[in-house]
Amino acid sequence: MRFMMWMIPGNGGSVAPGNMPDLDGVIAMMKYNQALWQAGVLLALDGLHPPSMGARVSFADGRFMVADGPFAGAKDMPSGYWMIDVASRDEAIAWASRCPASAGEAIEVRQVQEFTDFPADVRQALTGHADMQVQGARQDEPRRHLIATP
Amino acid sequence: MRCMVIVKATPDSEAGVMPGKQLLTEMGKFNEELVKAGIMLAGEGLHPSSKGVRVRFSGNRRTVIDGPFAETKELIAGFWLWQVQSLEEAVEWLKRAPFDGDTEIEVRQVFEADDFGAEFTPELREQEERLRAQVAAKS
Repeated sequence: MRFMMWMIPGNGGSVAPGNMPDLDGVIAMMKYNQALWQAGVLLALDGLHPPSMGARVSFADGRFMVADGPFAGAKDMPSGYWMIDVASRDEAIAWASRCPASAGEAIEVRQVQEFTDFPADVRQALTGHADMQVQGARQDEPRRHLIATP
Repeated sequence: MRCMVIVKATPDSEAGVMPGKQLLTEMGKFNEELVKAGIMLAGEGLHPSSKGVRVRFSGNRRTVIDGPFAETKELIAGFWLWQVQSLEEAVEWLKRAPFDGDTEIEVRQVFEADDFGAEFTPELREQEERLRAQVAAKS
């Protein structure tokens, strides 16, 4: 089963635009990434620029609205993620616990919905969707981002 | 550039209520357009936070907290990964997304090796690229 491990920095979303992760932290994290890979569980990973460089879009009451970052109270939004494929939720938690994260950080472990998790009528409406994900993954050949086929 | 388009949770998504057939069909069409345009690299939905956990870090201590988590507006229901020219292009695409109600979305640029500049030495870069190539080859 696939899980997203979202890195939650817990810094109130206060990171300034252009702020880069600390290099020593990146190096420690790369070792962890290698361990995930060597265990055969790593499907994808990325770091995200801070919310202060992002945008929020809302569809409230049928109106389309855009707001540029920074955002007040964005403390729980992720700064990056890993997608892993493991046998159980406990295994995902064990991997998250091995991360060389700093004090105050958290990793949110969330199971990815698979095609087979949906009821029959939903599966019917989604037919073709699984194929599209794979096609989509092939658009970016040099740095292609991988999603397992459900 | 790549960007992550994060679809935030709603009371319905947290309750595990599936979208109606019409919305699913419209979303399927939207995804198809994204793929045809070479925008969509990945897209996934997540099970509600009630089935998830948070692992909190404090020195060597790890504390596991079971979901659900309270702040629905800060929770993630699903995401896309898009290849676009700019954040503005991602926002333009979102205008065509068939969302209704109180959906909120956050668009965030993904780090690339080039963003790190000279600090990211050739050795580190090679290590990073090797890992990515390995992950890519796994499919």
